[in-house]
Amino acid sequence: MTFFSEIGNYSVFLAKVFNKPERKRILFKEFKEELIKLGINSIPIVIIISLFIGAVITIQTAYNMKARLVPLYLIGYLVRESMILEFSSTIVSLILAGKIGSNIASEIGSMRISEQIDALEIMGVNSASYLALPKIIAAMVFNPILYVFSVFIGVIGGIMAGSLGGLISVTSFIEGLQFHVHLYYIAYSMIKTVFFGFIITSIAAFYGYNVSGGALNVGKASTKAVVNSSVAILIMNLILTQLILN
Amino acid sequence: MINVVGANKSFGSNHVLKDVSIDFEKGKTNLIIGKSGSGKTVLLKSIVALYPLDSGSVFYGDTDITNLDSKKLKNLRKDIGMLFQGGALFDSKTVLENIMFPMDMFSQMSNKEKLKRAQFCLDRVNLVGADNLYPSEISGGMNKRVAIARAIALNPSFLFCDEPNSGLDPTTALLIDNLISEITKEYQITTIINTHDMNSVINIGDNVTFIDKGEVAWRGDKYNIFDSKNQHLQDFISPAMLIRSINR
Repeated sequence: MTFFSEIGNYSVFLAKVFNKPERKRILFKEFKEELIKLGINSIPIVIIISLFIGAVITIQTAYNMKARLVPLYLIGYLVRESMILEFSSTIVSLILAGKIGSNIASEIGSMRISEQIDALEIMGVNSASYLALPKIIAAMVFNPILYVFSVFIGVIGGIMAGSLGGLISVTSFIEGLQFHVHLYYIAYSMIKTVFFGFIITSIAAFYGYNVSGGALNVGKASTKAVVNSSVAILIMNLILTQLILN
Repeated sequence: MINVVGANKSFGSNHVLKDVSIDFEKGKTNLIIGKSGSGKTVLLKSIVALYPLDSGSVFYGDTDITNLDSKKLKNLRKDIGMLFQGGALFDSKTVLENIMFPMDMFSQMSNKEKLKRAQFCLDRVNLVGADNLYPSEISGGMNKRVAIARAIALNPSFLFCDEPNSGLDPTTALLIDNLISEITKEYQITTIINTHDMNSVINIGDNVTFIDKGEVAWRGDKYNIFDSKNQHLQDFISPAMLIRSINR
């Protein structure tokens, strides 16, 4: 019952969020700020994660290929495919759900308990739309960019781990990167990241917006936002994969 | 002028407002007093339609806001200024941006005009030189003054103040009280103030309503409050009487 009432409340919240904005100029201004806060500021963590994931996939693949009759350039191919299909979209989004999701839920939750949201409502501002819409649009716009960035950095991590560890030459790795390219896979993953951006920001904003009580509940809302948006990402990943790749 | 008629509000089994009827006059400071938990804040938030009433009406002039659709309510709210207990300034905006915010959202003024109006509001609350500070960088009293400046930025007809003096020293509290009273009279605003500060009652209580356990227990003004025969009110104001007796 709680599950269904939460889904209902979430739908009502989204209906309020996607109401016509008060001022498009203000929405655009807030959107630009959110691009920096949610997008640009997430680049360092994406670089770190992607670099290490790319390196680890290379080492694991090379280890599994020892003494087998498969060409080494397949290491580059597998790194590319792993990054494009799953790691740069889903895993990076899961990490961002933790970073961005907790940030949004605690920011909006703090505004709720300090009556800043009431102040917005009293002024006649649609507080849900004012607070959540710029974040949702910014994440949906910037997540695909982070994805491309992540694939690129992951491949660099793979090349570095392969060449520095003596597992594969740079030439062979690049040969693998160019092997059997499916641009469709990139489109599929980019579509996923747009959905994941929506999930992360809207769920976090929903839990932050509905905080009641004190600071303790802000923490609880933040945890709920991260857990539920992570689960929602995994479910959406399955649905989109089934719909697009099948 | 605001009229509350037969207002009832419950949260679960807790009946917070019980058939409350009050008239609030224009150009006067209308104070709602009562102990913590007596229902003052719920009443104030019901008057501004942040909490929907279970039954009863709230009239702003001739308009009953309990029956308004969201669009009309939104338009009415542009004529309302509210000072919250904690100030409720936006943390991510500077003092100047906070004051300009309602104008950014709803006025057709040019940037220059908005800036001029914001500066005027800051001058009006005696706060000069704090334009570029953030709410976390100013004191509690300054915070309240910025909140008043924001509340009057769009020249509201109605001003609501929830515990404007909470957490302030007596001198600053007096300053805030006087500021609210001056603004009310100067711009002929209908002002409603929630407070449990007896200094405010004695200082600016043009109309005073005592709420006890969600009911209107007494109505009067600062001149006759100490002569009231209401026992609950006497219990409430007795600490102030104590100070008066020491003064004598």
